[in-house]
Amino acid sequence: MSESPTLPTSPPANLRLLDDERDERAAARRLREAAVAIFGRSLHIRTIDTGSCAVCESEIRLLAAPHYDLHRLGLFFTPSPRHADVLLVTGPAVRAFDPALMKTYHAMPEPKLVVAVGACPLGGVYGEDELVHGRLENVLPVDVFIPGCPPSPLALLHGLLVAVGRLAEKAGELSFIEGTNDSRGTTTSGAMPEDRR
Amino acid sequence: MNGEGALGLGVAQAGVSERALAREQVEDQVKTMAGVPEARLADFFGSIEDGQLVIRLLYGLDRSQEYVMLTWPARGTGYPPLSDVAPAAFVEECEIFEQFGVSPGGGKTLNRLVIPPHADHDFPRLGEAPARDRPPPHAPHHVSGEAFEFPFGPVRAVAQESLYIGLVTSGEEVIDLYLLQWHKHRGIERRLQERLPDEALFIVERAEGLSAVANSWAFCRAVETVADARPPPAVERSRAVALELERCYNHAAAIAALCQATGLSVGQAQAEIALEKLLRLNAAAFGHRYLFGVLAPGGVRTAPDGAVLESGLGPVLDELREVVESLWSTNSFVDRLESCGVVTPDEAARLGLVGPVARASGQSIDTRRDHPFGPFAELELDVPVRSTGDVMARMSVMVDEIEESRRMVTELTAAGLGAGVADLPRVPGCALGWCESPRGESLAWVRLDAEGRLRRARIRPASARNWRAFDDAARSRNVFTDIPIIEASFWLTVAGLAR
Ligand code: SF4
Repeated sequence: MSESPTLPTSPPANLRLLDDERDERAAARRLREAAVAIFGRSLHIRTIDTGSCAVCESEIRLLAAPHYDLHRLGLFFTPSPRHADVLLVTGPAVRAFDPALMKTYHAMPEPKLVVAVGACPLGGVYGEDELVHGRLENVLPVDVFIPGCPPSPLALLHGLLVAVGRLAEKAGELSFIEGTNDSRGTTTSGAMPEDRR
Repeated sequence: MNGEGALGLGVAQAGVSERALAREQVEDQVKTMAGVPEARLADFFGSIEDGQLVIRLLYGLDRSQEYVMLTWPARGTGYPPLSDVAPAAFVEECEIFEQFGVSPGGGKTLNRLVIPPHADHDFPRLGEAPARDRPPPHAPHHVSGEAFEFPFGPVRAVAQESLYIGLVTSGEEVIDLYLLQWHKHRGIERRLQERLPDEALFIVERAEGLSAVANSWAFCRAVETVADARPPPAVERSRAVALELERCYNHAAAIAALCQATGLSVGQAQAEIALEKLLRLNAAAFGHRYLFGVLAPGGVRTAPDGAVLESGLGPVLDELREVVESLWSTNSFVDRLESCGVVTPDEAARLGLVGPVARASGQSIDTRRDHPFGPFAELELDVPVRSTGDVMARMSVMVDEIEESRRMVTELTAAGLGAGVADLPRVPGCALGWCESPRGESLAWVRLDAEGRLRRARIRPASARNWRAFDDAARSRNVFTDIPIIEASFWLTVAGLAR
């Protein structure tokens, strides 16, 4: 990678999440452009469940369904962490699941991203205790949080757009800069939704 | 609080009889119940009451529209090994051991459920850990001869819940299969303790998000029974509409998953279009795609707009029916479903299965009809039953149920829907609540103290019962590639199993 691509690191202000056709298309177009520019139409996502209520999984599955059709954007799910660029994590990070989570994370090649899906990995459902870490950040460096309980598929696409930008940054850092990457997490909408709907 | 139920037991609440037994009477009583053909073992759990562990064993007498709860103090030697007489009790024997440290007599080997292998003595539980000097008698899995164990999970296919499946095989045929679910244990029942029911509901919904309405309705009913308050009929009808919408989207999702498992991407896409539309209808009617936050103890927060329901539901379900009709005429689909993952009627009865899985195996049970609650007392319900017990039977039960749900939503809407949440008085007491989730009977038992806080809340989603038939279904002359198909037809959640 010889040039640092110019890509949004957070969604443009005019990209608002509405259930409106036009915005859905706008979000899709931006996502496609960004993904194509960096990953030549092949950004691969591995999902992992650390104790969800099964609803976030349902929304993630719908990303591949006709209404959202992730594949047309050059994004793909992969069963193997070794082929994955993005780890899409649901659930409050149940402690007993740590070994499986860590193995999956470490099996992924650099540059890699962790995207936390829903209120669970934000600590909004369970809070830290002896059974769960509560916040996923307590165990993995999280690049993007997608709030919502569950985040709708459109919110997930939006979060992935942010993730693509972050991955571009990381790729740039890998090529040119030595040392550690201390980048912080980005939230797609700043705060937890007050209403859990 | 008194009176006589069908078996001459004290009536604890309408539709529930309770009988306190002495430890010595338990075995005889369980044998008696095993001889009652209609008695279905529904749940079995422990509860610490006034510093004492009390064991509660619940039967559903579905033809008599009654639940029977037997209780006894588990002092010292625990209790007799009930699963010898009632195999449906085995998983709960393991659970009571893990959570309260009390094992059945007879030195039976128990299985590991939600306490991870590396957990120490202080691992959070509902009661006391098993004695330190006693290594937990978890059953080791022996694999020998030509067979080997193919480990699958806990990280599985994309967007599937974490679950470890130990597949014992000689190459292709499934010889045995076992599940480990402790990766998803969040201690839901423990988290509910000390909470007020209003706060607790948030967690109850998230025990198994795909049955949020059913599980929370069961919980709300239990709490409302203690408070002796029932929401007005129009409010209960709104709850029932939410429940039927939940059933529709779950069954649509199961059909999509069956298409995926059989490699029919066109059918899958078509079913997913219907699923997405149903979820959008949920959002339009109740404000949440998965109907979270709709119910509250004392009522329902939103009354759906009848016009939205009317114009939304019919067309989507018509679409879905067309998809199903094309699936029925696709040989490559039907061939994979027939004789796949068979659960015999005998097994279904023996294991106390519920919901579409039980109905596909000849069990005509449905809490909406057998233990009528809310508006279902006035509605005629046609309960679809099949006897082959295969994947095909389960799917056709679901397809019929979608039509029943459609009819019921129309009738409920016509009768008028209301919203409103009443303040419940904070009184002490115990009660059972039940509901029919898309996966089958969902139960909740609560014990509230004088401040109205939960001392114990038992949440038993249908998933917690039906997974126990998964190994039987997978073993019945199936090969590896049948497992995803069987799993889709059960349409259970690991979240509800591990809680
Ligand atoms: S964020 Fe909400 S919807 Fe997603 S798994 Fe957690 S509780 Fe369920």
